[in-house]
Parts: sequence; C-alpha cells; structure tokens
Amino acid sequence: MSAPLLSVRDLEISFRLGTEETAVVRDLSFDLGEGETLGIVGESGCGKSITALSLLGLVPNPPGRVSAGQILFQGQDLVGASEEQLNRIRGNEISMVFQEPMTSLNPVYTVGEQIAETARVHFGSSRAEAWDRAIEMLKLVGIPSPEQRAHNFPHQLSGGMRQRVMIAIALVCEPKILIADEPTTALDVTVQAQIFDLFRELQDKIGAAIILITHDIGVVAQMTNRVMVMYAGRKIEEGPVAGFIRDPRHPYTRGLISCIPRLSMSPSDMPDPLFEIPGVVPAPRELGAPGCAFAPRCPHAMQRCRVQDPALSRIGEGRAVACWLEEEVAA
Amino acid sequence: MTALSVRDLKVHFPAGKGKVVHAVDGVSFDIPEGTAFGLVGESGSGKTTAALACARLVEATAGEVRLGETDITTLAGDAMRRARRDIQVVFQDPYASLNPRERVGAIVRRPLDLMKVGTPAEREARVDELFATVGLRPDQKALFPHQFSGGQRQRIGIARALATHPKLIVCDEPVSALDVAIQAQILNLLARLKAEMGLSYLFISHDLAVVQHLCDRIAVMYLGQIVETGSRREIFTSPMHPYTMALISAVPSPETGLAGVERIRLQGDPPSPIAPPPGCRFAGRCTFATDHCSKVAPVLTATGGNHAVACHRAQDAEVAAARNALVQGAPSG
Ligand SMILES: Nc1ncnc2c1ncn2[C@@H]1O[C@H](COP(=O)(O)OP(=O)(O)OP(=O)(O)O)[C@@H](O)[C@H]1O
Ligand SMILES: Nc1ncnc2c1ncn2[C@@H]1O[C@H](COP(=O)(O)OP(=O)(O)O)[C@@H](O)[C@H]1O
Ligand code: SF4
Ligand code: SF4
Ligand SMILES: [Mg+2]
Ligand SMILES: [Mg+2]
Repeated sequence: MSAPLLSVRDLEISFRLGTEETAVVRDLSFDLGEGETLGIVGESGCGKSITALSLLGLVPNPPGRVSAGQILFQGQDLVGASEEQLNRIRGNEISMVFQEPMTSLNPVYTVGEQIAETARVHFGSSRAEAWDRAIEMLKLVGIPSPEQRAHNFPHQLSGGMRQRVMIAIALVCEPKILIADEPTTALDVTVQAQIFDLFRELQDKIGAAIILITHDIGVVAQMTNRVMVMYAGRKIEEGPVAGFIRDPRHPYTRGLISCIPRLSMSPSDMPDPLFEIPGVVPAPRELGAPGCAFAPRCPHAMQRCRVQDPALSRIGEGRAVACWLEEEVAA
Repeated sequence: MTALSVRDLKVHFPAGKGKVVHAVDGVSFDIPEGTAFGLVGESGSGKTTAALACARLVEATAGEVRLGETDITTLAGDAMRRARRDIQVVFQDPYASLNPRERVGAIVRRPLDLMKVGTPAEREARVDELFATVGLRPDQKALFPHQFSGGQRQRIGIARALATHPKLIVCDEPVSALDVAIQAQILNLLARLKAEMGLSYLFISHDLAVVQHLCDRIAVMYLGQIVETGSRREIFTSPMHPYTMALISAVPSPETGLAGVERIRLQGDPPSPIAPPPGCRFAGRCTFATDHCSKVAPVLTATGGNHAVACHRAQDAEVAAARNALVQGAPSG
C-alpha cells in the first residue's frame, strides 16, 4: 500500500484555560488516502473543528497549540512548519470550508473578487480569466444570477449563499484535501445535494480526499467511506461507513445513531419518543478525569469504567473501538 | 376548535426603487387545537416571515390571522397585549435570543411581569414550575445564559414561551442549531408538552424527518406560497407536488445513503421573489413543466381528506409514476 496522503500521529491539542493547560484533543491518530472521504462525527465540543484547524496550522495561539504529535502531509510534518510553508499548502493543496461563513469571508471585497483572487494566485491566470472562473464557480454552487451576485459584498447575501461562496473559494483551486466543517447545515436538502455532487466531481476529477465533519448521519452514509467518532477529544470508534451505520459498537455511537428521527414513507400517526442520550458532553475542565469520559452518560457503565480509561482496540478489518464492553466480549 | 386560522396572508417588503419582495404571497391554513403544524420549504421561501406575521412580529400586508375568534392583524394596545399571552415564539438561535446580562430566572419571568400576571410571589412560583417542566432545576434561576449549554438555553427559551399559558407556540427552527443528541431531548420535550398541555405549534424546520416526527399536518412552501398541504400520512405516503417529491428524495437517510438511492435532481435556480414568474413558480425547475404551466398559475386544490396541491399535472400518469417510484424506493418503518 502506498503512503497515505495525510497521516495524523498521536496528535494532542491543548488550550490554556486560566492558569492551567488542558488537552482538548488527545492521542488522535488517523490516515486519509487519496480519493477517500472520511467522516468525523460527535457532539459539539468534542474536538472536531479544532482538529480540522490544526491540519491547516490554524489553532489559535495563544491560548491554544499543538502540544504533541505529527501531522504528515505527503510525508512532510506540518507541526512546526514555517508560516511560509503553511501558506503554500493552505488554499492550494488543503482547503477548508469553515463552520461560520461570515467570519471567514473578507467584508471589504466582493465575493467575485475573493474567488477570482484565489484562482489567479493558484493558476496564474489573467484577471479576466479569473473573473470568468469565479462566475462559473458561483454558478456551480447554485447561486442564482451569478453575474450579478459576483458584485455583492458578503453582507448582502443570505446565510445560505455565503456558505456557498465559501465552498466556491475552497473548490476553485482544486485542492488535494478538502476539509468541510458542517458545510451544509444552513442549506436545505436540495441545495445540499447539489453541493455534494460538486464534491464528488472534485474527487472524480483529481482524486481529492475529503474530510467531512457533520452531525447528519444520513450525510455520513451518503458521502463517506470511513467514519471516525470523537468524544471528549478522543477517537472512540473508527471503521468503514457500513459497519458504523449497521453495527455501531461504542455505546455513544449507538446513541448517536438511535436518537435521530428517520424519515419514513409510511409514518405512524403517533410517533414514539426519540431515543435520548441523557446529559451533556463534559466541559474542557472536566477532561482528563479518570475513567471512560462517557461513563456518566453510558447505560452500560461498570465499576471498571469509572476508574480506568479504555484504550482503542482493533475489533476487525479497519475497525477500532475504545470501550471495556468489547474486552468483555473478547475475553 | 381551531387554534390559529390564516387566510390569504401576504407580507410584502419594500426592495427599493418601488419594487417589492413578495416574501409571503397569499397563504392560508388552519391549525386545529392541540396539533402541530409544520412549514417546510427552501431557504427564502417565506417560512419565517409567515410565522412572524402570525405572531404579529411583522405586519401583514393583507389577509387575516385569527387566534381563536379574534383577527390579530388589526388589534392595538391592550387588546394586542392580551392576545400576546396566547401566542409565543421560540427562536432558532438559543444564544442570540436570550439577553446575556439577565439572569435566566428573570428572563423566564419577564412575560409575566410585562403582562402583570398575579402577584410577584405567584410569578416566582410559576417560574419554578416552568423550570421543572422543561427539565431545569429551580436553583439554576440565578445563573446567566452563558453558563448553560445550547440545549439548556433552548429549554430556557421554551420555558419563557410557556410562561403565559399560551395556546399556540411558534417554533422557528428550534433544533437546527443543536446537536443530534440534544435535538432528540428537545423534540421529546416539545412532544410531551403538546400531549400534556394540549398546546398547538406552528413549527418551522428545513429537516423533513424532524417535521415528520413532530407535526400532525404539514405545508410545503415555495417562493411565498403553499404548494402542498396535508396530514403527516398524506404528505409522505402520497406526495403530490413535484417540489415536495424533490425535497423528500433529497433527504439523505442512513439506509438510502448507503444504498445510493437515485434522487430527483432540481435544475436551475429559484426565481426572484421580487418579480415572481406569471405561471407556476416552480415551472423553471420542474421536470414535468409544460407551456401551460409557465402561463397559468395553478391554485391550491383539495384532493380529498386534508390533502391539497397546487399543480396542474399532479394527477397525470407521468407524475404518478415518479411518485410511486419515490414512495416504493424509500425504506419504510
Ligand atoms: N425585513 C426584510 N426586508 C426585505 N426582505 C426580507 C425581509 N425579511 C425577509 N425578506 C425576504 O423575504 C423572503 C422570505 O424570507 P424568510 O426569512 O421568511 O425565509 P425562510 O423561508 O424563513 O428562509 P430560511 O429557511 O433561510 O430561514 C426572502 O426573499 C428574504 O430575503
Ligand atoms: N479558541 C479556543 N479557546 C479555548 N478553547 C477552545 C477554543 N477553540 C476550541 N476550544 C475548546 O476545544 C474543544 C473542542 O472544540 P471544537 O473543536 O470546536 O469542537 P467541535 O468542533 O467538535 O464542536 C472544546 O472543549 C472547546 O471549548
Ligand atoms: S467503557 Fe464503560 S462507560 Fe465507557 S462506553 Fe464502554 S461501557 Fe460505557
Ligand atoms: S404546475 Fe407544472 S410546472 Fe408547476 S409543479 Fe405542476 S407540473 Fe410542475
Ligand atoms: Mg465545530
Ligand atoms: Mg427562516
């Protein structure tokens, strides 16, 4: 097997909270191959976005930093890379669609200029060519009247349109890795479907790899090959998507999959209450306490779970789970 | 009894140079008491504007909004203040909709204070009761909004909406900003309140599965108008409008996602609400459109039960075939 495009090894990301430094992402390792789509799921605060930002060298510092581990992109370690090296990679080889489109667009340039500028820098095209390319991208992401909209400033667009502009900027330079952090939450399903078609085209055309962060299990099923579930800053389950959906192993993963309402073409008149995972994710200050971080919310928690943190163990082809129940089964 | 009855509601906004945005353009529906009514549709189709007009948080340009017996579009002063007790709103963003400098107990008590309900002691007791109802502890009253998680903040928003014993609560995307795990907690809470208190909801969401779960009746909006409405069963066992069918087919479910089920693709862009086209507003994107469609606007027509659709070709064989493929292709259960 050839070396993966991206290989994250034992990553730890820490934030200074008051006087203490807390690791909000710990022991995180994963690989991403060419043309592959990796889904990252988990509740808010579990470390998905900050992991994504670390891949671009964008962990806000201070208060945060990558405190251990390696991020190998085509063999080159991005941890400790110079700003110049990172700038060359950002937006060219790895690009990202952020969760909050308003904060990541420049308010003083029109959206057309922002897309065109990215294209011009990347392809070295002329201004006129870059402008045409910008219009084409706006059209591809489904913005009505792209010729007119290109002249709008970000604040003149609706939330859904701004998100699509972000996607246009991320795609215009045909990156090797596209990181999309909840890219379609503000969009309705028909537009979402259009955006995902674009992602697939990028993959078919240049073999791009995609990291897709989402809450939507349906989107995971439709778009990804492999899924990584994060809880309280750690990977607690990983495996091919079909296994994740049909046979989730970690109690948290099972909870996530059971608590969503499913669209039915023969709905009953009195739907049953949804399954609930009680409680909430631990706050950063509560991280690092002994035992399994999920124990306070876990219906299967045992004595051992409260004192000893289960390590990630392999349970089959490409699958791994961090839960003491798996050991009980194996033993 | 009907909790809310809306007739030919129009909300037009000025768009400069004498132009108008037809945000809501002739919408009618009834919400029977104790039921939840769902509004779904594309971003910008007018859901929020229609809902805000129902709570009179924007002024209607034309039409009626009857809360019980009273048309609230023309009420003023004290009469409007009394009507406000009966209709409350829960917003999408649990962060932006709570004053960050006010203690949450005071936030929930505010509507009672404004409407001078009972004595101060009675109001405080009511706040305790509301906290318990939505799953918060009364000792959390003294905290500020930032000390709560997103889901807890949405519970506070719901407690505030419940304070005056309203008959109807308008919920505008109340769970879209929440995680799936917290979403389930809030949806169960809303369903329980409806069953226990006989509350009615006008519920907006772009998530069809969420709407299907909570709502007894559903209306699909496209560019300011209702293009289809019916009971939960009618809409999903037999979607009549091509736009409804496209929406349903675009929902990625865990099972269909894995199976790679073919969806109905929409071409083109939604037309502008400033100059809506003369015929069917969906014609430019509809695979079944004919010349007639782009000339003559279809009207919402009852097809039996509570079901109504605005499409010239809803009963044609070609559309029926697509409907059958969609209903049979998707998983049931
Ligand atoms: N105050 C306003 N002034 C001018 N136009 C407005 C105003 N409020 C809404 N609109 C326009 O009215 C139309 C309907 O907007 P509305 O917010 O009701 O949509 P929505 O269906 O709730 O969309 P979303 O799913 O994105 O929330 C849009 O074209 C919008 O741009
Ligand atoms: N700028 C920051 N300062 C302090 N803590 C942060 C910052 N950004 C993220 N964190 C913390 O890191 C953890 C992971 O956050 P994030 O990656 O945003 O989660 P997710 O994307 O999974 O919702 C959280 O505990 C969050 O509070
Ligand atoms: S280790 Fe124990 S507490 Fe943690 S998920 Fe497994 S069973 Fe639950
Ligand atoms: S009236 Fe014509 S264009 Fe409109 S939805 Fe029906 S078939 Fe399509
Ligand atoms: Mg995030
Ligand atoms: Mg809205």
